[in-house]
Amino acid sequence: MGFFYEKKNNQLKSTTPSKSQKKESNKKQPLKTSLQDNIKTVKDTLGESTDIVIREIRIGKGGVLEAAIMYTDGLSDAASIQNFIMESLMLDIKDKEVESELTPNPKLMSTLKDFVMTVGEIKDVDLFEELFTALLSGDVVLLIDGYSEGFIIGNKRWAERGVTESTTQTVIRGPREAFSENIRINTALLRRKIKDPKLWMENKVIGKRTKTNIAVMYIKGIANDDIVEELRLRLDRIDIDGILESGNIEELIQDAQLSTFPTVYNSERPDVVAAALLEGRIAIIIDGTPFVLTVPALFVEFFQSSEDYYQRADLTSLVRILRFFSFVIALLAPALFIAATTFHHEMIPTALLINLAAQREGVPFPAFIEALIMEITFEILREAGLRMPRAIGSAMSIVGAFVIGTAAVEAGMISAAMVIVVSITAIASFVSPTYDMAMSVRILRFVFMGLAASFGLFGITVGLIALILHLCSLRSFGIPYMYPIAPFNIDGQKDTFIRLPIWKMFTRTHLISQENIKKQQNPASAKPEPEKDQ
Amino acid sequence: MKRGIFILLIVSIFLTGCWNRRELNELAITLAIGIDKSDDEYLVSAQVVVPSEVSMKGGKGGSPVTLIQGRGETVYEAIRKMTKGLSRKMYPGHLRMLVISESLAKEGIGDPLDLISRDWEIRSDFYVAVAKDTTAEQILNVQTPLETIPANKMFSTLKVSEENWAATVGVTLDQLITDLRSDGKEAVLTGILVTGKPEIGSSKQNVETITPAASIKLDDLAVFKDDKLIGWLTEDESRGYNGIINQVKNTVGTVSCPEGGKADIEVLRFNTKVKGNVKNGSPEVAVQVKIEANIGAIECPIDITKPESIETLEKAYEKAVEETINHSISNVQEKYETDIFGFGNAIHRSNPKEWKTMKKHWDQQFTDLVANVKVDVKILKTGTVNNSVVEKGKD
Repeated sequence: MGFFYEKKNNQLKSTTPSKSQKKESNKKQPLKTSLQDNIKTVKDTLGESTDIVIREIRIGKGGVLEAAIMYTDGLSDAASIQNFIMESLMLDIKDKEVESELTPNPKLMSTLKDFVMTVGEIKDVDLFEELFTALLSGDVVLLIDGYSEGFIIGNKRWAERGVTESTTQTVIRGPREAFSENIRINTALLRRKIKDPKLWMENKVIGKRTKTNIAVMYIKGIANDDIVEELRLRLDRIDIDGILESGNIEELIQDAQLSTFPTVYNSERPDVVAAALLEGRIAIIIDGTPFVLTVPALFVEFFQSSEDYYQRADLTSLVRILRFFSFVIALLAPALFIAATTFHHEMIPTALLINLAAQREGVPFPAFIEALIMEITFEILREAGLRMPRAIGSAMSIVGAFVIGTAAVEAGMISAAMVIVVSITAIASFVSPTYDMAMSVRILRFVFMGLAASFGLFGITVGLIALILHLCSLRSFGIPYMYPIAPFNIDGQKDTFIRLPIWKMFTRTHLISQENIKKQQNPASAKPEPEKDQ
Repeated sequence: MKRGIFILLIVSIFLTGCWNRRELNELAITLAIGIDKSDDEYLVSAQVVVPSEVSMKGGKGGSPVTLIQGRGETVYEAIRKMTKGLSRKMYPGHLRMLVISESLAKEGIGDPLDLISRDWEIRSDFYVAVAKDTTAEQILNVQTPLETIPANKMFSTLKVSEENWAATVGVTLDQLITDLRSDGKEAVLTGILVTGKPEIGSSKQNVETITPAASIKLDDLAVFKDDKLIGWLTEDESRGYNGIINQVKNTVGTVSCPEGGKADIEVLRFNTKVKGNVKNGSPEVAVQVKIEANIGAIECPIDITKPESIETLEKAYEKAVEETINHSISNVQEKYETDIFGFGNAIHRSNPKEWKTMKKHWDQQFTDLVANVKVDVKILKTGTVNNSVVEKGKD
């Protein structure tokens, strides 16, 4: 793959182990033999945090064995500790054959594991580091006096949000469910959609302190192995305190750090991610956030909605074109208006020119400042609308609509035409089905307005050339960002500006998936038979 | 280093000073310019829009346009002198009409047109007209109903009239300059005049009555020789002229029926081909006209359900058109001796070698030129009724 972004190697310079790491190296200690020593170490390390529960018990005939059960209150299921750990150790084995074997002997640990513990997930632990990770993830730790090893018993259970409806990417037709904060639920949602044994998952733990679970999912045989390997490399290079959201990961693995354009796609919809997996993309699921990343991301991907594939192809094609058109409006409308009204008066039809001139009579600001005032007002309103408590939202929107609309015009500060231009721009910027593209346009719009105000259409043209050059230079995990427009690929056009019917699309996106290109083995048979007259 | 260059580039954007930037409310949008000449001085009048009076909100009731004037030895000087009475710089990018007074046109329009065609801000797609029997200033000084801006009124009148009546010609600046520069065609311009009482024309009063006291009307065509006006065509001649230069889009012709009375023919398609030829050293042109028409109105006892009567009407109209065209050619040949029809260009195209010698004395050659006019009329439809309504009543 010769087109890998050449900078990939100096992307994330792995930092050398810092001093803080050395301090924590006591976690690398093995467990001690004495139970009391172990308990003391745990208590010292955790600073006697009050949510850590350490329950000391005695097991075996006559209580010959001292043991301790440790768990984090609120992260573990107290009922199942009671039912399946305490009871199986202390009650169920009473007067049974196996009880006699519970004496300090070398085989004790395997006896406990094999015959006593009535729990599903159990594994050995002999290092403090593992012990703490398990304890703080909600698992239960069982230690026994006299042994320098113990058990980690899977028993996570905490309050969390279930699977709810997607709020950021809504559709009319299509599945309603969205990912939630739990990584297990999220991977399960994907497994439910794709039951292929080739759907592989790799786990990684990133974040020195947060120890965030990250799952990398891809379909082996469709996903490009080189890209999977590249993703592994980039994830392994991450050395950071905490990962709280997929946005953290996105920033750390994306190709062009300074570009306003997103080169990693994110979605909270399982069907979108499942479709991406089927196309050969790789999903990165991060614990604690419903937003799942997929790579590589293409420019056109941000104009595709999952609904495009659930609705009729002809309608979808029109809507696609509308989205690209809206993109241009959102990017250029205020700039074109400024350029035309301050430099290129001859371009405006005479009747319109006179009308615009009439509106501008008495407006004290130049068109550029006027547009800037309106755009910034709008941005303020939008930001306020996002952050403010919901209860005062409606009051704010009334005031906002009034300020941005009629009042500004009637006060003679803004011309009415400018209000129309700014409004249409604002609306057009939300047509894009993904929020990321809308944000990137938002920044660039101001650049173009500045160019238009200083150089007119010439400035806009130069800006557009620079923008297109930039877009063509972008790579997402080695894949040209503008693919299949540039480099042009005739097969890719089936799902770019238009979408052909599904029975016409029998190949996957080239470049992303280089093996196993065919989606449908016999494309001809996929086409519906025309009905015959009887 | 790289960063320094980058910052320098960004800063330079804001140091441009926004060269040539002009806000809309810094413009004096000029829609019509009139040029007069008196006492060796040009008097240039500009009709400037008052935007607040034209807006949808309605103004304070003032005039929608204002007339700014300047005097100078050249047109350019006069235009720059206008700023003495104008708070904004004149913006002629949307010019619709250029009116030249008859007296100036008689002296020659070449000199004043130079600036107008040279300036980069002025387009070349506006109409040029001659103020007949009056000054250009007077023409620009009349308020018009229907169109609030008089310049727009003149512009659209020329356009509509040219398309529907075909006795006037909207000549744009670039056409005019082509004609002036061409050896084989002389220029014509539409005349424009004020009827009624011009002294009331400029006041609001003029548009307050159903019949305006003063109004602007298009008149017949002015004939030029080189850049000088030498006379006027009549309306019939103007229509003949339009027919020859293939400018007719749609018009109405009246023919006499064989048994008395009149019939109107509505022309739908009018196509003229002029072919030049040199026979025994003397030039000749063949004017072939093909007309497709409908019957517009019948005011005579004729039974148009019969194909023969249609044929009769076709023949009658063919003759009428032929006569009109012949008449205008011979009249121009005799009275003005200037080739406004572009026959010279036709000869140039067909016999380029002979044209080289002919063009020096083309005015004389034109006078003796033989034009063979052939008209072919086809009547396609008779409208929504067959015979005349009166005719039917008699049955």
